[in-house]
Parts: sequence; C-alpha cells; structure tokens
Amino acid sequence: MNINAIVMFFLFVGVTLGITVWASKRTRTRSDFYAAGNSIGGMQNGLAIAGDFMSAATFLGVTALVYSTGMDAMLFVIGGTLGWAVILLLVAERLRNLGQYTFSDVVAFRLDRKPVRTMSAVGSLAVAIPYLLAQMVGAGALIQILFGLPYGVAVVLVGVLMTLYVMFGGMLATTWIQTIKAVLLLTGGTIIAFGVMSMMSFSFSDLVVAAVAEHPQGAAIMVPGVIFTDMITIISIGLAFVFGTAGLPHVLMRFFTVPDALQARRSVAYAIGFIGYFQSLIFIIGLGAIVFVTNNPEFLTVEGSLIGGSNMSAVHLSKVIGGDLFLGFISAVAFATILAVVSGLTLSAAAAVSHDIYANVLRHGQNDRDTELKISRITTLVIGLTTMALAILLEGENVAVLALIALAIAASVNFPVMFLSMYWSRFTTRGALAGGYAGLATALILVMLGPTVWVTVFGFDEPVFPYNYPTLFAMLANLVFSFWFSVTDKSQRALAEAELFDSQWIRSEIGPVKEQS
Amino acid sequence: MLNQADKQILINEDFRKLVRVRRRISWSFLIFLLTLYLAFGMMSVFTPEVLARPVIEGGMVPLGIWMGYAILAATFTITLVYVWLANHVFSPLERKVIEAVDR
Repeated sequence: MNINAIVMFFLFVGVTLGITVWASKRTRTRSDFYAAGNSIGGMQNGLAIAGDFMSAATFLGVTALVYSTGMDAMLFVIGGTLGWAVILLLVAERLRNLGQYTFSDVVAFRLDRKPVRTMSAVGSLAVAIPYLLAQMVGAGALIQILFGLPYGVAVVLVGVLMTLYVMFGGMLATTWIQTIKAVLLLTGGTIIAFGVMSMMSFSFSDLVVAAVAEHPQGAAIMVPGVIFTDMITIISIGLAFVFGTAGLPHVLMRFFTVPDALQARRSVAYAIGFIGYFQSLIFIIGLGAIVFVTNNPEFLTVEGSLIGGSNMSAVHLSKVIGGDLFLGFISAVAFATILAVVSGLTLSAAAAVSHDIYANVLRHGQNDRDTELKISRITTLVIGLTTMALAILLEGENVAVLALIALAIAASVNFPVMFLSMYWSRFTTRGALAGGYAGLATALILVMLGPTVWVTVFGFDEPVFPYNYPTLFAMLANLVFSFWFSVTDKSQRALAEAELFDSQWIRSEIGPVKEQS
Repeated sequence: MLNQADKQILINEDFRKLVRVRRRISWSFLIFLLTLYLAFGMMSVFTPEVLARPVIEGGMVPLGIWMGYAILAATFTITLVYVWLANHVFSPLERKVIEAVDR
C-alpha cells in the first residue's frame, strides 16, 4: 500500500468525474457525444491522440521490452512513431473531409451503405473489444500490485469509472481525460528519463556501458535478434505498427472532433511530436531500468526475479529516481493511462454499434437522433458490464495475445478497406466485403493456430502456423480478395460506384464543395 | 453522376496541380520512411552484429541506437516539412479551386 499513490489516484478520479459532470451538461446532440461537437483544437487533439496511443502497453510494455531484450525493442520504438506518418501523409485530412463520426462513414461514402457499414463496424468491434480486454486485464493486475486491491475489485473499479465517463461525458469528457493523462504521462516520463541521465552525468555512452555491465546477458543486449529472429516476423510486426495504427477505430474517431481538415493535419503533427518524444524517452527509461533495477535487491523476490514481472520495471525505476512520493505519482499516472485509453475504446465500440449498426443499418439512417444517443448510452453500459465480466474470467491470461489480435485485425481489416475506398476508383462493395471478411478470418484463424494460442493456451506441442504475428498473411489475403472481387465485379452497382469516385475524390482533396445545380 | 461544379473542378488546372503535387510529395515521403524502417528490420535479421557495433572508433553507443533515433528524427522532420507544404502550397491551391467554382 502506498498512501501517496492512493491520494494522487483519488485526486485524478475526482478531477475526471468533475469533468464528466461538466461535459454531460454540454453533451446534448449526437455530434457532441461522438465528436465533442467538432470543438477541439489541433494541439489539444494532438495531445489526446498521443494519449490514446501512449497506453499502458507502450509505457510499461515497451519499457519492459527494452529492459529484457535491449535492441529488439527499437523495432517497437520506431514502428510506434512511423505509423503516425502513414496517418499524416495518407489518411488524416481525407478522413476529416469525407467522414462524420466514424471511419465507416468514409467506407460507406460511395459503396453500398448497409453491408459495408456492418463489415467495418464488425472490424471496429473486433479491434476494440480484445484491445479493451487487454487493457483491463493488465489494469487489474497492475492495480493489484500497486494498491493491494484484489483483482476483481480492481477490474470493477476500472469498468465502472470508464462506463461513467463515456455514458455521461461522451467524447468531450473522454478527450479532456485523455489530454490531462497525456500531460501527466509526458511529465512523468520526462522526469524519469531526466533522473536516469543525471545519475549518468548526462552521458549516453555511460548509460549504454552501465546497461551492458548490469544486464545478465551483457553485450548481447545491444545485438538485435533475441526474440525477433526471422524475416516474416519482423515484416509482420512492422506492418502491424505501420498500418495497424491507421486502423485503430478509437484513434480514427479523434479526427472527427476537430472542425476541419487543417486542424486534423495539425492534430497529427502535434501527435507525432509528442509520440516521437515519448518513444525516445522510453528507450532511455528502459536502459535506466536495466542499470538501476536489475540487480537491486529491493525489487527482487526471494527467488531473484523482478517483483510484479518485467512490466513493473518502469514503476520500480521511478522509486529509485524519486522515492515513495514519485512512485506514487507514476503509479497514479499508470492507472490514469489505463482509464483514459479504455474510455476511448469503449466510445469507439459504442459508436460502431449505435451509429453504424443501429442507426444506419437497422434504421436505414431514418431514426430520430435522440433515440440513437440513447442507444449509444445503453451500448456503453452493456459494453462496460460485458468487458468487466470477461476481464474477471480472463484473469492471468496473456495480455500480449489480446493486444496482438487487435493490432493485427486493425491492419488486416480496417486499414486496407479504408485505404482502398479512398484511393482506388474500381473498389466495389463486393470487393470490400470479400477483402474485409477474408482479412478478418485469416487474422483470427492464424492467431488461433499460432504459437501463442495453439501452444500456450490450448497446450498442443507444435503450432500449426509457425509465426506469432499473422499480419503479413492476413493483410495480403485482404488485398488479394479486395482486388479480385472488385475487378471481376461487372454488376450495375459496381459501375455506379466507380462513377461516384470522382465526386468522392474531389471532396477528399479539397473538402466539402458547395452544391450547385 | 457528376454535377456541374464537380465537372468544372476536375478540369480545373489548380485542382490537377494540387492532386499531382500532393500525391508525389506524400508518397515519396512515405516510401522514404518505410525504406529506412525496412533497412533497420532487415539489418536486424541478416547483420545483427553490425547494428551492435559502435559507430565511432572507440565509442560505446551502437549503430542500432543511432539509427533508431535518426529514424525518429527523420519522421519528425518530414512531418514539419509536410505541414509547411500543406499550409503554404496545398491550402492556397485548395482555396483557389473553391473560389474558381464559386464564381
């Protein structure tokens, strides 16, 4: 039990609940609920986007990866930043120009609305739900260690708070919570990295030398290839980062909270600045953890392993840097991070159900807006309750598996479909459906047959599919099916869709054009 | 079905220039960054010991760390250049197209 951590945690919860009450008074329409009334500025949205990406998985997980494997983690550090360049250069402005609340709006711009929306909503849910569960299972374990609460209580606490934030505060509250957390995390990360560097008398070489000296594997940590050894795995990881990031529904949704394409572009530019900065801190923090935590008896169990596992290396390091008070601060920040990210995910899952499936598929876009808002709040509650129950059942499950499924699906379903609908004039509804579902099925089946599920979860000796990451194959499946079923589509509908492309192209390039006769 | 305004935009010189320039810029920036990343990935498969070697004679910081930070810096520089181009080249063109059609 750490009193400082608990005080700071309650401070954060108090402030965020206050924001939720304030936001709930301003959330009256659908646009308020899904897109914060398009009222967010570029810089704040950039912080919120960065916040969405700097999840507990990045802060604790990538630090842990540097801590245990050294150079291999560089692939994650670079990939995590590069994915944003794809969003800036190919997607951000067009997304804002063509869509309204979700990325399905863009796919449905000229394709057959109902089946295509259903498919991209399924894609969004298939990304958001496992990602949400990964964060919640991780949160439960983390809170158990930090605050000494039982796992179940911790999960319910996270679940109740996220449901409250989203149900009453909508996108406005979610954005503010994400912004505050991003500032806290950037501050915390800066202090840890600064502390590490100051103890190394600000010499990066000294830090590298000390890390090599302290790590049990010595100089081998500077050689890549500890866990990622073959080309297929490295390409799949690269693809998942570079294109999966641009397929995460909760990130894409943030581009609709700004007023126009100009602000969307500014948001990503700021986000890249914040994320790149944070990623470069992570490598320093990881090396610092090797130096100050690895052989520190204070953080080791009797058997000599790290208390709480390697995921806790960043948290232990904060104690070395700033004592109990700073440990409390970082623990509270880690918790805030989880809360903010699960809120964003919940909102994107709720929007997929209420805006895409309910309003546009079941009600043909003819429903009244108050009902849609009500449906999205009910969906939020249902998602909150379901994920709490599932997270309790999944206690102790490997969090990486769930996160891996999510990013692989984002790269193999959402991104290719969105990209092709923006850029390829001959992309048809039939192609989109064949490609999207083929990508989804390939990703799911290969994860099932791969080492993480087939061997670790099911307990078979040999995996049927030898690679951990399915992205390369699933993305290819999507592209091949999309291509083949589009070019062979000779229906009347396909011709009409190709004709609509020019008008979509104009709007994606220069934004809404005044309609004239 | 294209309406009159859309037809006008498609043949508008400024619009065609906007599309051409932006396409060339975005894709060359993107391919440049992806090539760097691919190079890093392939080096870690085929020549891992090269990434572990210090860059400067007698130095301690290995090439892999230099490359990693250099790619981060390249991503950030490209972001700034793209935003500058978007503000000073693309946006004015967009405005010209819209004005031409409104008239």
